[in-house]
Amino acid sequence: MATAAPGGRRDRGAAALPRPRHRPSPAAVMAARLLPAVKFVIKGSLAGAAVYMAYDQGLLGSGTQGAEALRKAQAALPPAIQEWTSYLGWELPPTPKFDFSPSDSWNKGVQTVMSALSVAPTRACEYTVEGWKYVKDLVK
Amino acid sequence: MASEGELGRKWDRCMADSAVKLGAGFGLGIVFSVIFFKRKTWPIAFGSGMGLGMAYSNCQHDFQSPYLLHGKFVKVS
Repeated sequence: MATAAPGGRRDRGAAALPRPRHRPSPAAVMAARLLPAVKFVIKGSLAGAAVYMAYDQGLLGSGTQGAEALRKAQAALPPAIQEWTSYLGWELPPTPKFDFSPSDSWNKGVQTVMSALSVAPTRACEYTVEGWKYVKDLVK
Repeated sequence: MASEGELGRKWDRCMADSAVKLGAGFGLGIVFSVIFFKRKTWPIAFGSGMGLGMAYSNCQHDFQSPYLLHGKFVKVS
């Protein structure tokens, strides 16, 4: 039966024997020392491989290389998606094409807005006349 | 080649490069976050910001390129 001895340590009694200290083997000690280093080397290799792959594909280069990489990805993505969906047995609608020019779309948008603004007063007059005529016919 | 056509092509290249650099920075940020930084968020933001910065620098260089004079320093002996 454990009793509290002065100093706070419990007296376990004569039946409690000291636990034998388990000494790890030299191989286990070496493995414990090497494991963090091996983990770091593996992680560093994976990160370095990712950075190198990004560099090799031209993702970290000039603007021309980046645009070329995007063009290659746009050309390669729909067939890859199609292949994977057919392999998995899914049916997806055809992937929309993203091949558009932002500057052309912007210019067309600006031209559309400006032409709409240029005809807006004329159209407003026409709609006002038609609306007035409709109201007059209703009142008759 | 009309100058506004060339300007439009430069803008297209700039937008495409920005998308590529942002995606690459985001992807590498995810890789570093998972491998080294215990899935924290800041490497992803850092990578994306670096990608945008690289894209901005490339765009700036591309737009200023007609005005950059590449000279050669010749020593007269």
